[in-house]
Amino acid sequence: MPGRYGKVRLESWGPQALSVAVGLTVWEIAGRLVSAAILAPPSRVLARMAAMTASGELPALLAASSLHMLAGFGLAVLVAVPIGFLMGRVPWVSRLLDPLVTAFYSLPTVALVPLIVIWFGLFYAARVALVFCMAVPDMIVVMAAGARDIDQRLVDAGRSLGAGWMQQFRTVLLPASLPFVFTALRVGAVRAINAMITAELFFAAVNLGASMKKAASAFDSAGLLAVLATLCLAGLAVQELLRLLETWASPWRQGVGNG
Amino acid sequence: MAESSPFRSAGRLGSLAGIAIALVVWEVAGRAAGSARFAPFSEVAREFLTVLGDGLTLPALGSSLLQMLVGYGAGLAVGVPLGVLMGRQAWADRAFQPWVSMMVVTSTAALVPLLIVLFGTGFWFRTAVVFLATVWYVVITTYQGARGIDPRYLGAARSFGAGGWQTFRMVHLPALFPYLITGASVGLVHAIRAMVMAEMYVLIGFGGRLQQTGLSISTAPLLCYLLLLMLVGVVATGGLRWIGGRLAPWYEEARA
Repeated sequence: MPGRYGKVRLESWGPQALSVAVGLTVWEIAGRLVSAAILAPPSRVLARMAAMTASGELPALLAASSLHMLAGFGLAVLVAVPIGFLMGRVPWVSRLLDPLVTAFYSLPTVALVPLIVIWFGLFYAARVALVFCMAVPDMIVVMAAGARDIDQRLVDAGRSLGAGWMQQFRTVLLPASLPFVFTALRVGAVRAINAMITAELFFAAVNLGASMKKAASAFDSAGLLAVLATLCLAGLAVQELLRLLETWASPWRQGVGNG
Repeated sequence: MAESSPFRSAGRLGSLAGIAIALVVWEVAGRAAGSARFAPFSEVAREFLTVLGDGLTLPALGSSLLQMLVGYGAGLAVGVPLGVLMGRQAWADRAFQPWVSMMVVTSTAALVPLLIVLFGTGFWFRTAVVFLATVWYVVITTYQGARGIDPRYLGAARSFGAGGWQTFRMVHLPALFPYLITGASVGLVHAIRAMVMAEMYVLIGFGGRLQQTGLSISTAPLLCYLLLLMLVGVVATGGLRWIGGRLAPWYEEARA
């Protein structure tokens, strides 16, 4: 989804830099007009981020938060990618699992928090579980839709050239799947980072979540926005990383990421 | 799409089998785990009737959903025009694109502490959370639809002398329709997620009840609440899709 923007950025980053500059200026003016407790201007947020980075506090918090994010996301990939793929390619698997996936996709994952507390407590295991539960349904939906839309002509060509099951998988299905596997990874990564901070706010407050709660209770909006901006930058960085990985993994496709 | 129609009855049977298997697994797992950890389906089904009749849960859910509709409506009202503008005008695309990509990756939950500082925990807080969770997905979907409008149709409209409004109504709108429905239903999923999350955080409304039910001895009421939420989500998105099919029969075939 966000992939479509990739190409535009390279061609013309001038107007976009301008847009960011205008937005920051408006925010700066608004931030100076209202009380700093409510909305700190970007200059103060940047200064805070710089100070927190220099003291090593922000990188340490981000690293600690990443631990459960990566564990949950990794487990989610292991489960969602094969299940989604099977649902897209095998009709009876799709029929069997479709109502369950629809139900869990419609259920706000955060509503599972009380149940997760009962099963996994309030700490690391609970956070991993929430990240997992939040990333899986969205990734399965993307994977299944992508696998269903694999060009049948490619599959038929493989079959008529006498490819066996394994060969067909390796030479046809796998390369044809890469685009939507990466879409699923991007969607899942957004959800995982979302879940990473949700978990820290809803279970025992630790790492970045604890830092946000502390800043909020002290009406320190600069501190709040500094954490928020860090999360936002981390999200964008992960998207960019996945895009680079996709270009590297599928060099035969030009302008990767354009849906 | 095409292959599913001959198998429709088989598909329905398969789906029923899937649900049946899940319920059996739930029952067995529930009996093994005990209702303090994971109430079996039979117990939850009985509890479900009690919850429906208690005169508190359904009104709480209804008023939460009504409040959600305000933020969701605002998200559509802003997201659709913005998406169309970005899809049709290069300057708008460039001007808003960095902000949209930034906001899409930003977690709504992470905005909650800031929004509480800004709006308190009342009506405006919930509306703002739902709005911010909805609007960017609506923008992205509408944007993709608006970009993909076939220039030949626009050329044809122009050569028949259609004016700006006429072109919009006769060409843009029908072409956009599938994306509007998709955007509205993706936005709705995110709106419901945001509503529950916001309410659980500040312990009000249906989300608040759900969060507090987690403290009771049996997990049966909690699982009832989860089932209710599932039903709401499935009915809401299914309903939107149905409306889409009724209003514009070309919706199904044009859906990406």
